[in-house]
Amino acid sequence: MPTGEVFSERQLQDVARAIAGAETDTGLAFSVYVGSLGPNTRERALTLHDALGVEASRSVLVAVDPGLRQTEIVTGPDAKRFLDDHAAALGALAMTTQFNAGDLAGGLVNGLRTLGEHARHPQTLHLDQP
Amino acid sequence: MTAAVPMSTVLVSVLASPAFAAQRRYEGDDPGPGLTALETLGLFVGIPALVIAVVYVLVFAGSGAKGPRYRPGVAWRGQPQWWGGPADAERAVDSAQPTQSGGGARAHW
Repeated sequence: MPTGEVFSERQLQDVARAIAGAETDTGLAFSVYVGSLGPNTRERALTLHDALGVEASRSVLVAVDPGLRQTEIVTGPDAKRFLDDHAAALGALAMTTQFNAGDLAGGLVNGLRTLGEHARHPQTLHLDQP
Repeated sequence: MTAAVPMSTVLVSVLASPAFAAQRRYEGDDPGPGLTALETLGLFVGIPALVIAVVYVLVFAGSGAKGPRYRPGVAWRGQPQWWGGPADAERAVDSAQPTQSGGGARAHW
């Protein structure tokens, strides 16, 4: 495993673009962390989610530990109203399928797209109509 | 007598063919100059090796441009990467206040 730069410049841009796309689709804030999560991955992912500060409530954190082969998706209380646990699990599945083939960046891009597509969009009341 | 002439010609040419192989195998045969050892090597080893090299480069130039690749099952020593994280990640994580829990999902691969 190469130390240091794990993603190429292009992969960094691809993931950033996927995050921007998911944010536009859902109106939520997305954050993706790839790195070691320590022995207790869920606890660490929750801490990382808390570290997002005021944005945490409407944030979706995707935390991936490639060493432990573990993916954690954390949604804040507001984010959960649009992205329920079933949709999050679908996104996690889309990611791990490609992670298993050794494609970290591709898995993140596909998973973020899945999360964006499955986030439940609230029905808009047509205020311009009586 | 008429049959004896072709028979003898065939017999002579068959018997003589090993000696004539490099020169004239039949009437009107015009073999060019033979290949030297170097030319033979270049033709039958050099050119195939060149083709193999070109295909190899075409195949692996693409994966090289994709950057380092993660291999499942190999220990992870890469630097953490956080898209959309706080500006000062370390400080933010250390001073993170527990927020109301939402939901999420987890998956192992």
